[in-house]
Amino acid sequence: MTLDAIEQQLEASPAAARALLAEAKQSSVRALSELRDLVRGIQPPVLADRGLVAAVRALALDSPLRVHVTAEVPGRPAVPVESAAYFAVSELLANVAKHAGPCEAWIDVRYSAGMLRAGVTDDGPGGADPARGSGLSGIERRLAAFDGLLAVSSPPGGPTVVNMEIPCALSSPKTFSC
Amino acid sequence: MRVVIAEDLFLLRDGLTRLLHAHGFEVAAAVDNGDDLLAAVLADRPDVAIVDVRLPPTFTDEGLRAALAARREVPDLPVLVLSQYVEQLYARELLAGGSGGIGYLLKDRVLNGAEFADAVRRVAAGGTAMDPEVVARLLTSNSADGAVAGLSPREREVLSLMAEGRSNSAIAQQLVITERAVAKHTASIFLRLGLPPSDDDNRRVLAVIAYLGR
Repeated sequence: MTLDAIEQQLEASPAAARALLAEAKQSSVRALSELRDLVRGIQPPVLADRGLVAAVRALALDSPLRVHVTAEVPGRPAVPVESAAYFAVSELLANVAKHAGPCEAWIDVRYSAGMLRAGVTDDGPGGADPARGSGLSGIERRLAAFDGLLAVSSPPGGPTVVNMEIPCALSSPKTFSC
Repeated sequence: MRVVIAEDLFLLRDGLTRLLHAHGFEVAAAVDNGDDLLAAVLADRPDVAIVDVRLPPTFTDEGLRAALAARREVPDLPVLVLSQYVEQLYARELLAGGSGGIGYLLKDRVLNGAEFADAVRRVAAGGTAMDPEVVARLLTSNSADGAVAGLSPREREVLSLMAEGRSNSAIAQQLVITERAVAKHTASIFLRLGLPPSDDDNRRVLAVIAYLGR
């Protein structure tokens, strides 16, 4: 729309056309940034590029909390499993930042004997309850679609430990570890 | 100033070449993959290489790896990496060497030709050009830290611009304050973050980035 207006103004009023051009530039930058956010919400670039472990590390870097990541996954699970595990960890970490107040978090991701396991632990005040409508039951349901399980331990006073496991196979023998 | 470009999309490669020409750069080579980038860097010895993160054959982070490989072959080769999205993880890999001559910008920034040309010159001169989005993420992940949270809003603004790689005079211009005021803010920021003061713009920027990325 703006581009049409620019075309019309180009001869008659170059100054107006220039202002419109600036506006068009700005709205294209805005549209790109919205698109990027959308893509991040569906398939984060680092997850697609490098897989679960690197994507979890990227999550940890972007979190306002101090997050320690240990991981060993010798290959990549199928895309739907990888992305379910990623979003589960992402949501758990967001929960910690939202509810646990200032604290540290530890993420451990590993694969053994046909099982992908991820754990998110924090030293916050505890008291997280999957039965009381927190995001935990949603995560549990989504993992169930892959025969995955979620276990929560969060006594008052903390620490909160959330573990998940998803049975799956890995492809590609490349090793991501640390 | 001589530039080598690695970008797989013809239109973008051509657009970048024209833009750089218009701003007085000489484009020594424009290639479409990582192997050719390495060859061009070795043959043409450019002042700076501009590299798209996504290159064939994998179309993942091939360009980033090619840029890092080029810097191993030609130490301190200034590299400006362009991407459709920015990631702290990748920024850290680029900056891991601890030396300057590194840029990491969203492709959208190319839309502002003059500012983009300025960023290319800064990187070529051994400085840095970090995308404001990367800097914002660095600041968020440091928000739990008392030292950054203790800065005044103005000091945070100065800190962000400094982390983007801007000099004192550029910061003064952008915030419409005097250079002396900027110098006062930077001195106070360095004091509060416990960083050793330095008059050298590039070294100061690296200290700030290292602090935020620790």
